[in-house]
Amino acid sequence: MEPKNLPTDQVLVVLRERAKELNCLYQVEEVLAGEEVPLPGIFNALIRTIPSGWQYPDICRARIVYRDQSYQDEDYVPTAWRDSAEIREEDELVGSLEVSYTREVPGVDDGFFLLKERKLIKTIADRIGQTIFHRKLKRLLHEWETASRDLAEKKNREWMVITELVRRTDEKLYLHISRKMIYYLFWNGVGEARQFLGKFGGEFVKNEPEPEFDANSPSFKQSREKLIEISDQVFSIAARNLSDNEILQCLQKWIHENKISFLIKTIDSGGTALSAIIDAILRYRAIAGDRMVLAPSTEKWLRVSLIRRFFSDTIEFINIAKRHLEVSDFFDLVTRIIFHAGSNGKLGGKSSGLLLARHILLKQPDEEGLFAGIKVPRTWYITADSISEFLRHNDLEDINEQKYKDPEQVRIDYPNIIQLFKNSHFSSEIVKGLSMALDDFGDKPIIVRSSSLLEDRVGTAFSGKYKSLFLANQGPKQKRLSALLDAIAEVYASVFGPDPIIYRAEQGLLDLHEEMGIMIQEVVGTRVGPYFFPAFAGIAFSNNEFRWSPRLRREDGLIRMVPGMGTRAVDRVSNDYPVLVSPGQPALRVNVSPDEIRHYSPSWIDVINLETNCFETISVIDLLRTYGEEIPAVHQIVSIYRDGHISRPSGFDIDFKSGDLLVTFEGIITRTTFIRRVRSILTALENGFGMPVDIEFASDGVDFYLLQCRPQNTGEDSAPSPIPRDIPEDRTLFTARRYISGGRVPDITHVVWVNPRKYGEMESLEMLTDVGRAIGRLNAVLPKRQFILMGPGRWGSRGDIKLGVQVSYSDINNTAVLIEISMKRGTYSPELSFGTHFFQDLAETGIRYIPLYPDDRDVVYNELFFTGSRNMLPDILPEYAHIADTLKVIDIPGRMGGKILKILLNAELGESIGYFDEPEAAAESSIVRPRPHEAHGEEYWRWRLHMAEQIAGQVDASRFGVRAVYLIGSTANATAGPDSDIDLLFHVDGTREQREALSVWLEGWSLSLSEMNYLRTGYRSHGLLDVHMVTDRDIENRTSFAVKINAVTDPARPLSMKRPAS
Amino acid sequence: MESKSYNPFNMAQAQFDKVAEMLDLEAGVRDLLREPMREYHFTIPVRMDDGAVRVFKGFRVQHNDARGPAKGGIRFHPLETIDMVRALSMWMTWKCSVVDIPLGGGKGGVVCDPHHLSAREQEQICRGWVRQIARNVGPVQDVPAPDVMTNSQHMLWMLDEYETIHNGRFPGFITGKPVGMGGSLGRTEATGYGLIYTLREALKEHEVDISRTSASVQGFGNVAQHAIRLYDHLGGKVVAIACWDQSDKTSYTFRKKGGIDLKELLDITDKFGGIDKNKARDSGYEVLPGDAWLEQEVDILIPAALENQINRDNAGKINPRVRFIAEGANGPTTPEADEVIKKNGIFVIPDFLANAGGVTCSYFEQVQCNMNYFWEKQDVLDKLDSKMTSAFSAVSELAKRKKLYMRDAAYVIAIDRVAQAVKARSWV
Repeated sequence: MEPKNLPTDQVLVVLRERAKELNCLYQVEEVLAGEEVPLPGIFNALIRTIPSGWQYPDICRARIVYRDQSYQDEDYVPTAWRDSAEIREEDELVGSLEVSYTREVPGVDDGFFLLKERKLIKTIADRIGQTIFHRKLKRLLHEWETASRDLAEKKNREWMVITELVRRTDEKLYLHISRKMIYYLFWNGVGEARQFLGKFGGEFVKNEPEPEFDANSPSFKQSREKLIEISDQVFSIAARNLSDNEILQCLQKWIHENKISFLIKTIDSGGTALSAIIDAILRYRAIAGDRMVLAPSTEKWLRVSLIRRFFSDTIEFINIAKRHLEVSDFFDLVTRIIFHAGSNGKLGGKSSGLLLARHILLKQPDEEGLFAGIKVPRTWYITADSISEFLRHNDLEDINEQKYKDPEQVRIDYPNIIQLFKNSHFSSEIVKGLSMALDDFGDKPIIVRSSSLLEDRVGTAFSGKYKSLFLANQGPKQKRLSALLDAIAEVYASVFGPDPIIYRAEQGLLDLHEEMGIMIQEVVGTRVGPYFFPAFAGIAFSNNEFRWSPRLRREDGLIRMVPGMGTRAVDRVSNDYPVLVSPGQPALRVNVSPDEIRHYSPSWIDVINLETNCFETISVIDLLRTYGEEIPAVHQIVSIYRDGHISRPSGFDIDFKSGDLLVTFEGIITRTTFIRRVRSILTALENGFGMPVDIEFASDGVDFYLLQCRPQNTGEDSAPSPIPRDIPEDRTLFTARRYISGGRVPDITHVVWVNPRKYGEMESLEMLTDVGRAIGRLNAVLPKRQFILMGPGRWGSRGDIKLGVQVSYSDINNTAVLIEISMKRGTYSPELSFGTHFFQDLAETGIRYIPLYPDDRDVVYNELFFTGSRNMLPDILPEYAHIADTLKVIDIPGRMGGKILKILLNAELGESIGYFDEPEAAAESSIVRPRPHEAHGEEYWRWRLHMAEQIAGQVDASRFGVRAVYLIGSTANATAGPDSDIDLLFHVDGTREQREALSVWLEGWSLSLSEMNYLRTGYRSHGLLDVHMVTDRDIENRTSFAVKINAVTDPARPLSMKRPAS
Repeated sequence: MESKSYNPFNMAQAQFDKVAEMLDLEAGVRDLLREPMREYHFTIPVRMDDGAVRVFKGFRVQHNDARGPAKGGIRFHPLETIDMVRALSMWMTWKCSVVDIPLGGGKGGVVCDPHHLSAREQEQICRGWVRQIARNVGPVQDVPAPDVMTNSQHMLWMLDEYETIHNGRFPGFITGKPVGMGGSLGRTEATGYGLIYTLREALKEHEVDISRTSASVQGFGNVAQHAIRLYDHLGGKVVAIACWDQSDKTSYTFRKKGGIDLKELLDITDKFGGIDKNKARDSGYEVLPGDAWLEQEVDILIPAALENQINRDNAGKINPRVRFIAEGANGPTTPEADEVIKKNGIFVIPDFLANAGGVTCSYFEQVQCNMNYFWEKQDVLDKLDSKMTSAFSAVSELAKRKKLYMRDAAYVIAIDRVAQAVKARSWV
């Protein structure tokens, strides 16, 4: 009966009753907890306590019967108004608990006791039974230990003391160990044992002893006594054939195994509920404590069962995890799992990775004390299948078909799904669990992270595809709980977001069942003013795929660190830079001169604003100016820039108000163990996982926290590409074998090549600087990310211009690859720059760098292709025709009959190749896994072509003065990707007003197409059209884009119009 | 083949030959000044962090010290060539001479790329460099300074090694040190202020009232900011500034026809010298394309950013109203653009003279160090003003008298002074 259906006074009565019951239970627990009090004492205390839980305590009396002993008050009389419950020790009935009213009471609930009271008496009886069992185990263990100690001292066949003890106290166990012993003897080839088994085998072995609660059946009693007798014989055989020590060891092992057999039975049965497993683990902890009580093989079996249950079924993961996890490692974990009834218990990839990493580190030898201080933030877990339960609970299962819809539809639906999820309900088990979690977290900010099942598949890179949400977690509990539920709903919704669905489709993972575990983690940090953030955080990789110096080795690793929350280090952000350090060689820095250090120091910081409950990005310098003093370890984080000199602040005296402060982490890097610690962690985890890893970390200025660990995800764009071995030399442009990172650049249409020899011979400074300037212009004209720059020596060299083409980052920022060629001059090869002049810009925008050493053996450098191809430079930039000898622009499809240049890089092999191949949109390539926009490659340009034709078909030629419309660029040559523009060339002859009107008309198209493209692909742009207008005169003079009309290579493609202007 | 290609030293010699011809210098003087007087080539063995030993090549070239101790930077460059160092040392001789400070010209370097070296390794290179040449450099012989890829930290390492070897304190051995460690106040302002001192003199000479002039500036770094501050202080009106936008990876020109407000702009400027274009728009600035600075209708153009900014392509776009160009950057004008500028009768204060405030301040640093007495900032700036003013007057007077283009006049006067000095010493 629910309180809400009752009148108010009744409600009060019911509530009071419940309070009473609870109080009673607490008191019972307290009594039971008195471990030193002997059982009779406990029982006497209980009978005095129990009546307080009943409706009429004054006239209520209790009685406990245990093994034929009765404990009761003197005035206890079993009346008609009584209730009772059985007390069981394990499965054996050992007594009962009774309550009885001394006189008649009003009837309720079809009797004299409330439903709650009937439940209460059962609960108490159960607890009494459990306590008795627990005590018995403890006593046995104690006796056993005492016995072993005595034995160790006496060494005199005293294992018999043990068998005698067991025989007396636990017949079941006695039979068990004797059976074990006879097998043991048999396997060891003891003849007597063979005879014995032949004689008694049938009844002794096959006959499972009946459950003991049938003990009052006389026939069984006989057979039991007989069995005991036979068992005694077994030990006599043992005594004759084995050493005392051996027997002792066997007994010890078997007795312990028997004690925890319930755990194995529970876990090994696949159908067991998660709650039962957790219960079993906790019981095991109570018995075993920290001791190792299992045989190694049993322990392993149990371990693997647990790993499979909570972490992963994949053999790769199990193989790694079973080496590092122990049963006891699950003790803390299971108390922090939130699950619904019937959950299978999987926690997802992220949670598994972190737990495994943590235990790998805990087990490292720690001579330098580097592992000792590593912490993992307090974390709670929601099982992965809870999302399915969530869908079922809210009748939302239909949503699973979302992944088979068009990307466009998925994107349109997504905002609604988020709202729908936020308005749905969680089952009460989950809400209760989260409420407990919040009590545990207090009002510390938390992060809700996704931990998907697909994430633990090696080779998939789900990072950033699913949401992670920060919560300030401030205010009253109800508000915090609803914010947490909201956040979980939103993370759940992100399973159905467009990005992960598109990514899964491309990876061929769409049909795999995806479930999403949740990790709720305390955010590391401290409060500074209204903000909460860690002193610093970041991500570290075992393998450095962005080497800025040839002295760095790949295995020197890489740390990307930022002040505040690590979000800015994990994601690439434009306009800002993380600090990069290679833990293997921390002294080799990317940025060397004070100006570089200043330029590339982080300017922004991500924080949680505790007052507005928002995640914010604020200016580092503003934060330092206002709250500098309060930031933990700030003197280790900042350096001072003054008159071109950078120095670490001395002590605590930092001029926050007016000093020119830079975040450099100089103190952290040079004066703390941070770098060595990260290096040791990476090494330990790489060894543990058996593969390179990346970790996320944070520090509150005092401690180092590990936040995440997973196999190194180099990102879709830098995974090693298989290098094809069968490319004939005439289809190869170059190969390289030194300092190669990973990745692939599949669709290069143009090569810009600076002829190293001719460049060296240039006579005037003017011509040399012209090369740089022309490249800046080409950078703006050539299709973005579809051309590569190849030149001698050091791109962007300052100082001697002869050492490399003088460009700034803005002159090259649209290239896909930057290649430096080191041609031998006489006996020495010039040292290359490794892009150091704008290394961090290249790294943050994903522009590849490749150094070429054409004079090395075993490499290809197809000079003939460069010298023998037609140079487009004079067509594109007639004003730079005078340097055409030195600077070449080669149209690859034009030269190679439609083929494009494909560059594959493989850091594992340290090899790279650039070769000519069919465009991937047209030719399905089986060599490599498709990249995101190639799976639908065809679709992207076809759609653009269609739209371009629509525009041309609808333009009112006479109104706008349009003579012709052409298509150029990536759409024209069928290489358009999801982020490509549509380049249109309009031949116009109208008035200025007409041209302006045309621009307005096209602007409308451009914005609409941009929105459509966003829905289809997720790429945002401000307008999708890139329109160029040329006049008769331009065509006559062949200026700018007019050269494309009727060009020999890469010509503009005319589009048919409705009615051309006359 | 090799001789045909661009060679900076050949270029510097050709430039000298041209001026020597104009000055009608004797053959002996020409032979002496065409070549450096002394060159030191040496090796610097360094034990690297990984235990291996690497040997670096070091240079010091003293082109001429007739007018005083040689002065010039130390470059760390992986592909340094001796011809580059020779050319630069010669240019240092002329540069010190044009502002008439009693110093000669030198240059040095080490073939290395600091990007691939740890700080400790760089320190070893610096100390090794000094050990090899300690007897041939010093406050009264040759005074190094920071240059490409070297900075005040390198100078302090070198100074420390020098002082250790010579057992004493010789802060005048090297310049470019931090303030408090032998550096001079006013260094930050020196180049920008020096630029405006010469501009002020140029306007005075052409009888133009500075308070009635307007200017357009390219660049918003240290030089530009200080130049604008002083020009503004003298009554001029800057109407446009072009600078780099870090996030858009392009440059913009910010224009306010009524005159920009330096303080207002500095408040919305990031550490890269980039102005926040949205905030600028809110404050009433027009945001124009990056090259619009050149086309403004102003009296003065101040290119104070990069080299080759006024070139063949855009020289024609300079507004007819422009009468002065003050070159704050190094080599902002290409030779082809020079022709256009000459033709249009625009008065150019050449980089060589206009941005000599920096080297003048280095000279002051050395003077103060040698006295072990350091001046107040205002003293430094006042002395800088008088040096720059007289340097400008001398060049301009010669230009007028001999009807020379200012750039040529500056070279003529500089080379002539050195020629006089070697003759006075009867070296030739």
